[in-house]
Amino acid sequence: MAKRTMPVPAVRYERDANGGELLYRLRFRYCEKGRLAMLSHLEVAHYLERVVRRAELPFAITNGFSPHMRISFGGALPVGVGGTCEIFDLLLYRDVSPEEALGAVRAASVPDLLPYACERIDRRAKAASVAYPKSTYEVVFDRPVASLAVPEAVEVVRKKKTRVLAPADFLVEPPAFAGDTMTLKLVSKDTGSLRPDVLVRAMTAGADVRVASITRTALAE
Amino acid sequence: MPQPTTDLWPRLRDLLPLAERPVRYLNHEFGSVYRTPEDDPADTSFVMVYPDTYELGQANQAIRILVNCVNAQPGMYAERAYLPAAEFADQMREAGLPLFSLESCAPLREFDAIGITLPHELAATNVLEVLDLAGLALRAEDRAEADPIVLGGGPCAFNPEPYSAFFDAICIGEGEEAMPEMVACIGAGRAAGKTRQEILEDLADIPGTYVPGFYRVLPDEEAAAWGYRVKPVNGHALPEIQKRVFEGFAQSPAWEPCIVPFADLVHDRLSVEILRGCTRGCRFCQAGMMYRPVRERSADNIVEGALEGLKQTGYDEVSLTSLSTTDHSQIKEILERMNAAVAGKGIQISIPSQRLDSFGVDMAALVAGEKRGGLTFAPEAGTQRLRDVINKNVTEEDVFSSITAAFREGWRRCKLYFMIGLPTETDDDIRGIASLVTRVYEAAREVTPPDQRGRVRVSVSLSLFVPKAGTPFQWDGQIAPEEALRRVNLLRHSIKFRAIDVNWHDPATSFVEAVMSRGGRECCDVIEGAFKRGARMDAWTEHFRPEAWRAAAEEAGVDAEALAQRTFDLAEVLPWQHISSGVHLSYLRLEHKRAFKEQTTPDCSFGTCTGCGLCPDYGIDVETQEVRVG
Repeated sequence: MAKRTMPVPAVRYERDANGGELLYRLRFRYCEKGRLAMLSHLEVAHYLERVVRRAELPFAITNGFSPHMRISFGGALPVGVGGTCEIFDLLLYRDVSPEEALGAVRAASVPDLLPYACERIDRRAKAASVAYPKSTYEVVFDRPVASLAVPEAVEVVRKKKTRVLAPADFLVEPPAFAGDTMTLKLVSKDTGSLRPDVLVRAMTAGADVRVASITRTALAE
Repeated sequence: MPQPTTDLWPRLRDLLPLAERPVRYLNHEFGSVYRTPEDDPADTSFVMVYPDTYELGQANQAIRILVNCVNAQPGMYAERAYLPAAEFADQMREAGLPLFSLESCAPLREFDAIGITLPHELAATNVLEVLDLAGLALRAEDRAEADPIVLGGGPCAFNPEPYSAFFDAICIGEGEEAMPEMVACIGAGRAAGKTRQEILEDLADIPGTYVPGFYRVLPDEEAAAWGYRVKPVNGHALPEIQKRVFEGFAQSPAWEPCIVPFADLVHDRLSVEILRGCTRGCRFCQAGMMYRPVRERSADNIVEGALEGLKQTGYDEVSLTSLSTTDHSQIKEILERMNAAVAGKGIQISIPSQRLDSFGVDMAALVAGEKRGGLTFAPEAGTQRLRDVINKNVTEEDVFSSITAAFREGWRRCKLYFMIGLPTETDDDIRGIASLVTRVYEAAREVTPPDQRGRVRVSVSLSLFVPKAGTPFQWDGQIAPEEALRRVNLLRHSIKFRAIDVNWHDPATSFVEAVMSRGGRECCDVIEGAFKRGARMDAWTEHFRPEAWRAAAEEAGVDAEALAQRTFDLAEVLPWQHISSGVHLSYLRLEHKRAFKEQTTPDCSFGTCTGCGLCPDYGIDVETQEVRVG
């Protein structure tokens, strides 16, 4: 049987002094707004990979049988929740200035899912998904709301399993109200997180108020 | 007619939390084309509809091609629309929200023209779901003057009669040139203040356009004398409609702009059509008859187009599509050049089907990289006798050489497609499938290293023969669903290895396909009756309602069994005889006779003309880039 030759990779990574791959890590910030807040995390991830390809950035790929882009994403937003400070990290095999990279990805993006900032970060910095466990959400209602009670427990059904979560365990501070807006600060934990839309639904149950939008507006360590 | 102005988005947005997958309805994908304030408000508006959900329709090449073609012409523009999922359609009805286009979220009813593609027979009730959700009368004759003109087309248009009551006009054949002509005709008619009837008459003057309302159905005796089942009752209608052929296909750019969806689709990759047509001449195959002649795009065009497409879309997979990709005379060069161009970029190249010979496997190996999933082959029949009947020009040696080559190359799974219920099939042919598959499995194990033999799997996929209009087997009846199940069980019990699994399509759905494939105008009542009894999304197992179809046929007085299962006489005038794919009826009859004599017919793209009659009639020829070898 004739042995097939392996396809020769077009890209050979530079090596550092220790023989490791010399890669460059960029962190992008983007907004997810308007109707595209209805996209799932997986759909957004899929989209961003294609943005990077369209931008023709020199992205690194994994080795192995199923090579894929070395890209990682921040904490997931639930379907229906928008964001103004979402992040994703990308490893490049060639150094590209953040300004150049940002320009290229913006040109390859749609307006409601648009990267607006880019910075170099250390390759060993925390992964995008765990770098910022605290999230601030702005919940806009269809009318001014002075206050809403936080329930002691919230029932969450996921994959046919019911869990009871205590919102107090996830709230960084009590919700703040101003006009038609409520500000929620939630922390995600290693054991799980409480979705803002689930908490808001529990808080508004029985109240004569409708949620107009939920948006993540800040991330913090 | 004024352009659509209503924006349904605010109403749709409020409903979306109820949707299972909101992404189906969002629009705003990369590559979408929108109207701008600079565009002429007098442009003719057209919406192209795929009669199933977004996941299935967005990947459809016909929608992409036709929307691009219309948008490329001055004076007109096109948008897309898809059916919502069944549950969401109910929510929309309850909320009084009509079917909308994606780009401007405008009601379909506000467009000048609506195009609905007919991709397969099980989409019949979905056509009515589109019309009903759009708020239009189901039947063309009941539509108002100002209503959009409803156009049809696609594979099922080669027997348009079951759909004839629902469409104002139907495009037969390839739509690249025909569809913009039809939209222009409608726009000009509207601008000139013509009546609906006058516009339909203008449409009937466009070659390849069938206006069903301009024909009456003839009784048997009159039909026999006239030579067709229907006769024009309007001076603009022709007795026979010849399909349209896009003669510029081979020279047209292989890169056709496409929309990159957010959603995970059925075929979520870049598709590049590398050739059109297949003249292998399988006698059951409708596509093989209706997309003739073979026209190949050049290797330069394909490679440049595919690379440009990957760059523009950001896809990480490109599929080189056609009815028989590995038949392209430059396929080796194309795959080698593509491989070299995308190396190291994590991009996968795929070819949709493998030729049943070692060349096909070599080509698959060229693009497979180190990841070996499964390979798919279609021997279609289990014995050489039956393969000769259906003109599947494949010998048992071909089957074994290709499959052993595949397992030698590292594949450990293969899927084999077979049809049951083919004309002349006996139990010996069914047992022949079992025998062939068993020997394939043993041969595959033989060439697999001993430590990997446990991973060898052979999958058998059975479909029930559906007689298709315009093929040499159009006269042959389908076997009854009960008999189909008996043959499936005979096959299952004839296979002894657990590593061979057998899957089959539900014969009840194939039965409906056969009825729609061979029915005449009487089937319009059946479709409408089934729809009114709740039938829709028939291609989805969870939605298929055979009882609705049975009751509808009974109410309409249609003998559905006879339509699907009766073998027609070769001299009989068929309901679709006035629709021509360009292949002469005499050739189809000849092929039918040759089938029953177990004689094969060669592929004209590899050798000499076999006399189907199409090329001389159209003044065209097979267009291959180099001489085909194989």
